[in-house]
Amino acid sequence: MTVLILTCEEDVTADMAVVHLNGSGVPVVRLDPADLTGGVSLSGEFVHGRFRGHLSVGGRLVSIGGLRSVWVRRPGVPAGRAPQPSAWLTEEASQALYGMLRGCDARWMNHPDAARRARHKPWQLRLAQRCGLPVPATVITSFPRAAREFAERFPDLVVKPVSGAHPQDPPRAVPTSRVAPDTDFSAVAYGPTLLQRRVAKRADIRLTVVGERLLAARKATAPDADPREVDVRFAAPGPPWEPVEVPARTADAVRTYMRRAELAYGAFDFAEDADGTWWFLECNQSGQFGFVEVETEQPIARSIAEWLSRPIPDEPAELNGASSTVR
Amino acid sequence: MQPFALNYARPAVELAVATPYAYDSGLQLNVLGDGRIAARDHALLREVGTTTSTAGSKTHFDD
Repeated sequence: MTVLILTCEEDVTADMAVVHLNGSGVPVVRLDPADLTGGVSLSGEFVHGRFRGHLSVGGRLVSIGGLRSVWVRRPGVPAGRAPQPSAWLTEEASQALYGMLRGCDARWMNHPDAARRARHKPWQLRLAQRCGLPVPATVITSFPRAAREFAERFPDLVVKPVSGAHPQDPPRAVPTSRVAPDTDFSAVAYGPTLLQRRVAKRADIRLTVVGERLLAARKATAPDADPREVDVRFAAPGPPWEPVEVPARTADAVRTYMRRAELAYGAFDFAEDADGTWWFLECNQSGQFGFVEVETEQPIARSIAEWLSRPIPDEPAELNGASSTVR
Repeated sequence: MQPFALNYARPAVELAVATPYAYDSGLQLNVLGDGRIAARDHALLREVGTTTSTAGSKTHFDD
């Protein structure tokens, strides 16, 4: 049976797992939904009480019923590169592709329903609390007064996008940034704003979860780090990522989070404080892992390949295919 | 009238260097000019930074 990988061609991080799948002789079909109606074709029949579907790309033909797993890695917008793209065609292509795939028994990393829900940061914060992970005090508000009062209680604050998205018109990035105590919060009225108590961190933690496997890496905060830069993605390179053990209590809480979120893959970001406590910041359900693996040589890609290679369970889940298939 | 968080925005930095590999649809992998598989060359991946978290990406917001 075949592993289907939905991602863009330039996704060299996906390649890291494909290499392992090839090495173990597991058939792989890789396609980008953006190429639908171009290099990618699909067909499905619902006749006489049965479904038969196929996908085709680059001369490869795969039966949807012959899929053992689907890895939703970095797919483009369906039909996004069609000769005459349109919002209508994208919706048609999305419904056709994902609608047929949802009907198969393959295991998902991650199921689209679970993925969509898991992207909501407020939902992440609440789930993390319920799982017993320490969460820094946070407010999400469009009331300037609520922001001011929060700043009085927690004077050392950061601001970050609620969605994690970045504005594109023009293209800008919104890193997690420190907020000065005397800041004017009146602009909070113009958009929901996420303010969070800053964790005085001595390290960033990236914990990558693949099924039941936890692979954590730690990047110490450089002694001479600019105190104004709190977002590791934008800070000077500093010390390298290094493998680190996951505290037992954190491991239990993270596994609970993954199970309740119905995720097979997740990349958790924590800030480690001076006491060694790991403060939950977020869980990216499709978070990058390549940069961690190339620095630490942790077997993340191999773990993903092994998870994708497993056979379909005897009794697939009824609702979204995730609840009984994430182990 | 700008939302508060955008007071902290900065210009997005696009990857300036051209990647030294290209997708091979037969292999379903990106390969280097000499035919080697790019994903096996971790030193190169570190150098080009294409496996790094891409804050500000147009297409993928959760890295």
